[in-house]
Formats: sequence, structure tokens, C-alpha cells
Amino acid sequence: MKFLTANKPSAAGSLPRAALTVLIVIWAALSALAADVIPDAPNPPRLVNDFAGIFSPEQTAVMEDSLEAFARKTSNRIAVVTMSDLHGLEPMEMAYGIGKKWGVGDKKHNAGVVILVKPKTADSGGKVFIATGYGVEGVLTDAYCSSIIRNEMIPHFRKNDYYGGVDAALKVIKPAMKGELNEEQYLGKDDGAEAILALFVVVLVVIIFISVVSKKNGGNGGNNSGGTFGGGGPIIFGPGLGGFGGGHSSSGGFGGGGFGGFGGFGGGGFGGGGAGGSW
Amino acid sequence: MKKGCLIAIVAAVAIVLACFGWVKSTYNGFVQQQEGVEAAWAQVENVYQRRADLIPNLVATVKGYAKHEQETLDKVVSARAKATQITVDPTNLTAESLKKYQEAQGELGSALGKLLAITENYPDLKANENFLQLQAQLEGTENRITVERKTFNEVAQTYNSAIRQFPGNILAGMFGFERKPYFEAESGAEKAPKVEF
Repeated sequence: MKFLTANKPSAAGSLPRAALTVLIVIWAALSALAADVIPDAPNPPRLVNDFAGIFSPEQTAVMEDSLEAFARKTSNRIAVVTMSDLHGLEPMEMAYGIGKKWGVGDKKHNAGVVILVKPKTADSGGKVFIATGYGVEGVLTDAYCSSIIRNEMIPHFRKNDYYGGVDAALKVIKPAMKGELNEEQYLGKDDGAEAILALFVVVLVVIIFISVVSKKNGGNGGNNSGGTFGGGGPIIFGPGLGGFGGGHSSSGGFGGGGFGGFGGFGGGGFGGGGAGGSW
Repeated sequence: MKKGCLIAIVAAVAIVLACFGWVKSTYNGFVQQQEGVEAAWAQVENVYQRRADLIPNLVATVKGYAKHEQETLDKVVSARAKATQITVDPTNLTAESLKKYQEAQGELGSALGKLLAITENYPDLKANENFLQLQAQLEGTENRITVERKTFNEVAQTYNSAIRQFPGNILAGMFGFERKPYFEAESGAEKAPKVEF
């Protein structure tokens, strides 16, 4: 459009109308060729983009809410995209392209993940790809992504349960991105559960201990204890919770922008990490 | 007379200053872009190295299941040895050195492709979690290679067009900024090995 508005006045004056039309046609054809098949970022930004229509509206809403909540609490963004046609691109190219074009994840952490699902149809196979941003390549390795696809997603997808498959994958990806569930823990699932349980018990004991101690202090402090109690409590409390979150929970995602319910897309980098699968 | 002289001097100084400003910003721009190309190249070498690092493990795993494929395995090992020997000094990136590098890596890529193709015949191997993980890592690395090569070409192209365009080309010629080569698309040799699950 810029081209047109910039050149139209002079071009219309000097060129015959036919030539101008031809030029416009050529220009339109060229820009159509160049126009890439990767969809534009949704506006307003949404994390669940069911272009293929394989989720019910309720499922989309539930998933969107949970992903937005996750995005607000951490600096991590997970975009779920479903497409019935990849326009000749490999699943990796499409997922990576979406991640890069939309900027899933923020510029600082590059903690973005794109989950792309192309449902199986009568004449084409089902494809799935998890693309990881630069910032999460360490916690979500290609092999880890591949395990998640094979163990969590494809069994559901084979039964045409697309929501179930993506949901099961998210149940692993979210803690993985927070650094709470690594590959070994996931593969030997019980170890992970035990470790988290043990951690939980420790944190619980600490919390009880602190609350007992601070109550005692409060009693000793007499009437003016309101101030000391309110100030002292959270300071002790904070590190305890931070430890439970694996150290990553402190990256404040709360103030992130204003558009969507999750702060919008913005500049997350992708370098080709992730894994795919088909069924 | 005196006034005219003063004006001439002021004008000359102004011109020199303007020239200096232009040379400075153009030159620094070139340097920055050149650094960008070198950084992109380092990234390319990184991902190729990453692939090379995966190979010993992959070969060992495949060996356990496919003992009769010694020849294919040997080819991968020797192609890897050859490819890791060839490194390119990023400050002296010529079309020739890039081509050599690309050829060696392409050979390794096709040897790997053949190895992955024969693994299709070993169902036990294909069910091995360790192998599946290696395969996923390898596939991811091939994807990264594609991405980093593309990035390198883009950065090199920006730099090349900057140093070849008038009037920057005059400065580029004076200070010896040279055109950077591109990765060429290869016919099949460099194609990422297809991995089906």
C-alpha cells in the first residue's frame, strides 16, 4: 500500500492508465508471492489459536485462561496453534516461523514455546511440533520435547482427542519451563513426584515453624506488634516460597504490558529448537 | 580580502568536519556489520559442532543393535573426523573456505542420513528410548543448522549490499572491506535427515 500511495499521483500523470493497471497487477502478484504463509499474530493477542477448529469453545477458553495465568505468573509464554493446512511448510518451519514472527516470549528471557498441531485428515497425516525459544532450550531440550510428544500427545491424538493431548503436554511443559520438572524426573516419573512431595513437606514444616515463631514474637511484642508482624512475616516468607518455585518464579511477569490478558507477544527469539512427531 | 579568507577557512573546516562525520559513521557501520557477520558465523560453527558432538553417542547406540552395518558407521565416523578438522577463521571468510567447510559438513550430513535410513530396519533400535532421544536431538540440531545458516546469509547479505552501494563502496574499497560469501543451497546433500516416529 505504501508503494501505491507514494507513486500513484506521479505515475497516474505520466503513464497511460493501462500501463498503470499492469503495474498494479504485477505488484499485487509479486507481493502475493512474497506474502508468507505464516499467519499474523492474533489481535488482540491470544495464546490459544485454534485455526483448525479442533477444540470446543469451552476447551479453548479453559486453555487460554490457564495459559494466560501461567504467563502472568512467570515470564513464560506458551502459544498453542492448530492449523489444518501448513501451506507446504514442514511443521518445524511453521512452528518456528510463528514463534519468530509473533515473538512468543519476551525479549529479555526468550522464554517462549509454540505448540503446533496439524490434525490428521482423510488425505494427510497428523503432525505436531513443539518449538522452543532460545531461553527454554536448556530446560526443554529437543529430546525432552520429543518424549513429551511421544508419551503425552500422540496417544491422545490417535484417539482424536486433541485437547487431551495438548493438555497432557502442557501439564509437563509448564513445570518444565519453571525448572520444576527436568527430563530425568519426567522419564522416571515417580522420582519427580517424590522430590516435589519431599520439597512440599519441607516447605510446610518451615511455614509452620515460622508461623509459630512469629506468633510468639507477636505475643511478646505487645500492642504495637502489628507493625513488626506485618513487616517481619513476608520477609522470612518470601525466600521460602522462592525456593519452592525452583528459583525461577521471581522473574516478574506481572507488569508486562497492557494489551492481552498475558501481556501480549513481544520479541521472543527462536533458534530452531524443539521436536516434532507425526501419527 | 581578510573576510573572504575567513569564510573560505570556515567553509573548508565545515566540509572537512562533514566528511569526517560521514567517513566515521560509514566506517563504524561497516565494522559493526562485519562483527555481525562474524557472530553469525560463530553461531553456524556452534550448531555444526553440536551435531558433531552428538555423533559418538549415536554411533555407539546404533552399533549395539546393528552390528552388520559397520561400513555405514565407519563412514559416519570418518566424515565426522574430516568435518571437525575443517574450521574457518571468521575474519578471513572467503568463498573458497566456506565452500570447503560446507562440503565437509555436507558429506557428514549425507553419511548421517544414510545411517538413519538403515536404522529403519531395526525395530528394536527404533523402540530404544535412548536412540529416540538422540534422534530427536539430531533432528533439532539439523533444524538449528538450517536456521543459523539462513541467519548468516541474511546478515552477510545486509553487509554485502552496504559495502557495495554507492557511496559506501568507495570507503569499503579504501579500507579493504570485502564481500562475504553465502551458504549455497545444496541438492539433497545437506537435507536434514527425515525422521519418522
